[in-house]
Amino acid sequence: MENIQCPIPGYENLADEFGTLISTYPPPFIYIQDTQALRTTLNAIDALLRDLSNLPASSTNPSKIYYSRVDCVASFTSRLFYEAVINTLVGWEPSWEDGCANWSAEGAVGGKWNESMDMFLHGLRAAASTCGSRIKSQSDYDVRFVIVVERAERLKESLPEIIVPLTRLSELSRIDLSVVFISQVGWEDIRPPLGASPDPYYIDIQAPSKESLYPHPLVQHSLTPLTPYHPALESLYSHFVTTLCDVCFPFTHDPNELQYITAARWPGFCKPLLDEHKRRQRKPENEDTDVDMDVDPEDEDREVLHDRGMDFLFQPSTDTRMRLNKLFNPTLSNALEALLPRLSNAADWAKKNEPPPDLLSLPPGQAHLGQSQASKDSSAAAEATSMRFLPRMSKFILLASFVASTNPAKSDIRIFGRGLDEKKRKRRRAAPKMSAKKKSAGPSKVSQRLLGPTSFPLDRMLAILGALLEENEAEWKLPSPQFTIPGEETDMDISRVGIYASVMELTSMRLLHRASPPDRLDGPPQFKCVISHDMALVLAKQLDVALNDLLWDPM
Amino acid sequence: MPSPSSTSTDTSSALPEHLDFSLRLQKRAIFRSLRSSKQQTFNAEPSVNDIATRQLADLVDGTMTRAEGNSCLLLGPRSSGKSKMVEICIDNLLTKPIILRLSGWVQTTDRHALREIAFQLLQQTGSSLLSDSDLSNVAATGSSHEEENPFLVTQGAQPIFDGSILSLPPSSHLHSLIPALLTVNRPVVVILDAFDLFALHPRQSLLYCLLDTVQNCRASAESRGIAVIGMTSRVDTIQLLEKRVKSRFSGRTIRTASHSSFESYLTFVRSSLTATTHGKDTDLAEEWHKRWASSVEIFLTDKAVLDIFKETFNLSRDLKLINRILMACVLQLTPEQPYLTYNHVAIAIAAQQSRSSYLSFPALSYPSTCLLIASVHADTSGHPVFTFEMLFESFRDQVRSSMSAPVQVNGGSIGMAFEVLSAAKIFMPVAGTSSSVAREFMKHRCTLDRATVKKVVEQSGQVNLRKWFSKAQQS
Repeated sequence: MENIQCPIPGYENLADEFGTLISTYPPPFIYIQDTQALRTTLNAIDALLRDLSNLPASSTNPSKIYYSRVDCVASFTSRLFYEAVINTLVGWEPSWEDGCANWSAEGAVGGKWNESMDMFLHGLRAAASTCGSRIKSQSDYDVRFVIVVERAERLKESLPEIIVPLTRLSELSRIDLSVVFISQVGWEDIRPPLGASPDPYYIDIQAPSKESLYPHPLVQHSLTPLTPYHPALESLYSHFVTTLCDVCFPFTHDPNELQYITAARWPGFCKPLLDEHKRRQRKPENEDTDVDMDVDPEDEDREVLHDRGMDFLFQPSTDTRMRLNKLFNPTLSNALEALLPRLSNAADWAKKNEPPPDLLSLPPGQAHLGQSQASKDSSAAAEATSMRFLPRMSKFILLASFVASTNPAKSDIRIFGRGLDEKKRKRRRAAPKMSAKKKSAGPSKVSQRLLGPTSFPLDRMLAILGALLEENEAEWKLPSPQFTIPGEETDMDISRVGIYASVMELTSMRLLHRASPPDRLDGPPQFKCVISHDMALVLAKQLDVALNDLLWDPM
Repeated sequence: MPSPSSTSTDTSSALPEHLDFSLRLQKRAIFRSLRSSKQQTFNAEPSVNDIATRQLADLVDGTMTRAEGNSCLLLGPRSSGKSKMVEICIDNLLTKPIILRLSGWVQTTDRHALREIAFQLLQQTGSSLLSDSDLSNVAATGSSHEEENPFLVTQGAQPIFDGSILSLPPSSHLHSLIPALLTVNRPVVVILDAFDLFALHPRQSLLYCLLDTVQNCRASAESRGIAVIGMTSRVDTIQLLEKRVKSRFSGRTIRTASHSSFESYLTFVRSSLTATTHGKDTDLAEEWHKRWASSVEIFLTDKAVLDIFKETFNLSRDLKLINRILMACVLQLTPEQPYLTYNHVAIAIAAQQSRSSYLSFPALSYPSTCLLIASVHADTSGHPVFTFEMLFESFRDQVRSSMSAPVQVNGGSIGMAFEVLSAAKIFMPVAGTSSSVAREFMKHRCTLDRATVKKVVEQSGQVNLRKWFSKAQQS
C-alpha cells in the first residue's frame, strides 16, 4: 500500500481513490464516468494500473495485480472481447508464425475459452492459476485481476448479452477480480433492465482545471540543432501554453485537443525567435546597428557580455514576448476554429499559418501575420469553387430544388404565380403579420431552413424551375418565331431529356438526394436538396437571382 | 505523542506523522471487513438469516449423510446473503460433494447449461478421483459408474479435456446426462443462481430433468444423494414453474432478509468501521486504535450522521449500498483529516446513492453550456425536439442581440460541442441515423431537465449566460 504516484497532473484524486481501492480490496465492479476528457482519463488509468502491476507483492500488499484493457470499439464481437482480456492478462502475444494461436492453459480448457461466456469463465480461472503458479514460485501471494472495459457504452449496442455477466464477473468466476467500466455516459444509460446487474462503485472524474493543464513539459530531444523543441525555449514555452490555455480553455476542456492545437501553433510562434537567432549568428559583428527594438535597454549590457544568441533564446525580454503574444494571439482562436473540428490537420495548418521570415526584425507597424482570415471558411469556399464549374442549367436546377425543399408546397402559387397578362409578380408573402397575430395559439413555427430540407416530387421542382427560367432567362433567349404563347419555350426547355439527365447527375454528385426508392414506379420520384443555405446564396449570386425573395421564410 | 484521553478535540486535528501508516492499515482493514461483510446479530433472538442458514445446512446435510434428494429455493432481496449462505453451508461440509454451479445469467439456454454441467463434472470427478487418496478405493467403482454415464462414455478411457467435449451436446442427451448424476460416486449439489431465468427457458426441460432426478433419488438404492438449490430474488418464481415441474419441486422456500432494524444496521456499520488491524508495532497500534475507536464513537453519535444513515436505511436495505458508501467515506480520509465526519458521509452518499444527474457535468465548456441553454429555449417555445441548426440560430440571435457577447464562437467549436454532448448522450437522437439526413438536421432531444441545466449554468458563473437562461423561464 505504497503511495501512489499521480501519472498525469489533475488526476491526483483519481490516483488516490482508484489506486487505494485496487491495491487493497477493490469492489468487484467499478464505474468511472468522464464526460469531457475521456482519452486522458484512459491514459491516466492505464498508467496507474501499469504502476500498480509493476509493484511486487509484499506483506502489506499481498496481491499481485494483472490487468488488461479492452476497448469496446475494437472488441465488437464476444470472441474478440474474450481474447483481448485473457491474452493480455497472461501476457500472451499471438504470433504470426504460430498461426496466431490464442493462449491455452496447460490441459485445462484446451484453448476454446473464447467460445462463450461460461468457457470464458473457465479460461479466467485457468489464467488465474497460471499467473498464480508464476508468482507462487517465489512466495505465496495471490493474484488479482483488473479488467478495464473502455468506452463501455458501446457494449449496449454491440454485445448487450455480456453486460450482466461482466458486471457479475467476480462472483461468477470466484477469483479475486475487479471489473472497471470507463465511459463517457452514465451507468443509468447502460444499466440492464430489472436490476440484473449489481450497482457499481461510482467514480466521477471532474473535468481538468485550467491550472492542471499548464505544465506540459517541452519534449526535450535534439540538443544540437536549433529546433522549436530546444530546451532553451522552455520558459517561453510555458508562457505560450499559459496564453493558449487562456484563449482555448473556455471552448474545450480536453487536454488532448489543447495539446493538438499547441503542437500546431508552437513551431510558428517561436520561429521569429529562431530566425532572429540565426540572423545574429550569421553577422555577429554589426548586429547592434539594426536590431535593438526587440531587446530591452537594460538587457543590452548583459547581452554584450554574454553569448548573444543563446541568452536571447533563454530569456526573451518581456517586450519581445509581448510582441509575439500580440502578433499571435488572434491566430490562436483561428487555430481553435480550424483544428477542433479537424477542418485541417495540425501539420497543414502550421504550414499555412507560418509567420513570414524575420518577423521580429520588421518594424512593428509592418509586422503582421497575413492570411489569418483566409482559412476560416475554407471548406465553404472549396465547395463554392466546385460549384462554379456546374453547367448553368444544373445551377438552376439546384436552386429550384433548394426552393422546393425549403418552401412549403402551398406557398408556391403565391410566390411564383403570375397572371396571364402581367409579367410582374403579383404578390409576395403576406404571411409574417398573420403568424404574429395567432402566435399564442400553438408553439411558434420553426423555419424550415432550420429543420432541414424536405423532400419534393420532381414535378414540383420542374414547375419551379420553369418559373425561375421564365423570369430570369427568358429575355436572354434568341427570338424563336415558332413559339407564340409566352412561356411556351420555357415549357419546352424544362421537359427536355437533358434536364432529367442533369437531375440524375446532380444526384450522383450527392447534391440532390433521392428520397424515394429507385424501383418505385407510381408517382413522380421524390428528391431532397442537400446543399446548405450558404451554398444556395452563393449559387443565387452567381445566377443573379434574388434568393431571399423566393423563400417563404427568409432570413 | 501522548495518548489522547481528550476525545472531542482529536477529530479536528491532523494526524501526527508516525500514525500515517496506521491510518492506511486501518483503511485496509475496513475494506477487508466490508468485502467479507457478514450480518452480525447481537440480539438474543436469531435473525432471519440465521434460521435460513440452519435450514439450508440441515437440507444439505440430509443429502450428504442420508443420500436424500432435496430441492429448495432461496428467496430474498438483492444482496441479502443468499450466495454467501450457500457458500458457508458448503464450506462447512466435512466431505466435499460434487458442486455444479450454474447461473441463469451465463447459461442462457439449456444446451449451454448442459455443456457446463458436463464440463464441471469432468473437472471435478476427474481431478478428485485422481488426486484424493482417501477416495482411491471408491475410484474403481466410480469409474464403473461413470461408464454408465452416456455422456462420459463418448470420451473414452482418457477423458482429460478432449476438445470434442466442448461442442454442444444435442438436447436429446439431456435426459440421459442428468439422471446419470445419481450414479456418480459422491453426492451432488447443484446451485442454480438466478433460478427464475431458468424457468424462462422453453419447456423448462433442464429444471424438469433436475427436479425429476431429485425425486427419483430415493428410489434408487445406490444413489449418493442430490440437492438442487435455487437462488432468486423474484418473488413469484414458483408460479413461473410449469405444473409438471412444480409437482416435482419440493416447495421448500427458504427466505433471507437483510437487516431488519436500524440498530443492527448501525451495529454493522460500527463493526465494519472498527475492524481491527493486524499491526506489528503494538504500542503504535494501541495508540492508533484508541484514537480511531473514539473517533468512530463520536462519528456515530453525531445526530446528523445518524439521520443520514437512517435515511439511507429507509430507502434501501441493500448491504452493498452501505458498503459502497462506507468505502467512499473511508477513501476520503487523509493524514490531514484522519477522522470521519458528516461531510464525508454526505459526499459519499451524493456520489454513490442519490446520484443527481448534474453531478457528472461539473464544468462544461462554454459552447456546450450555450447549446444547453438554447435547447431549454427551444423546449420553452414548444419544440422539445430540435436540430443543431435551431440551437445555433438561437445562439446567434443571442450573440447578436446582447451587446455583451462574451466570446465569439463560430461554427467550428460549437459544432464540436454538439458532438461532445451527443457523445455523452446528453443530446439523444430521436430517430436512428440515416444517410439521407445531414448531421446538422438530425433531430435530437435533451435528456437534462431545466433544473439541471440551471445548475450547470450557475456553476459556469457567467452572468450573460445566466441572463440568457432566465429569459427562458419567463415565457
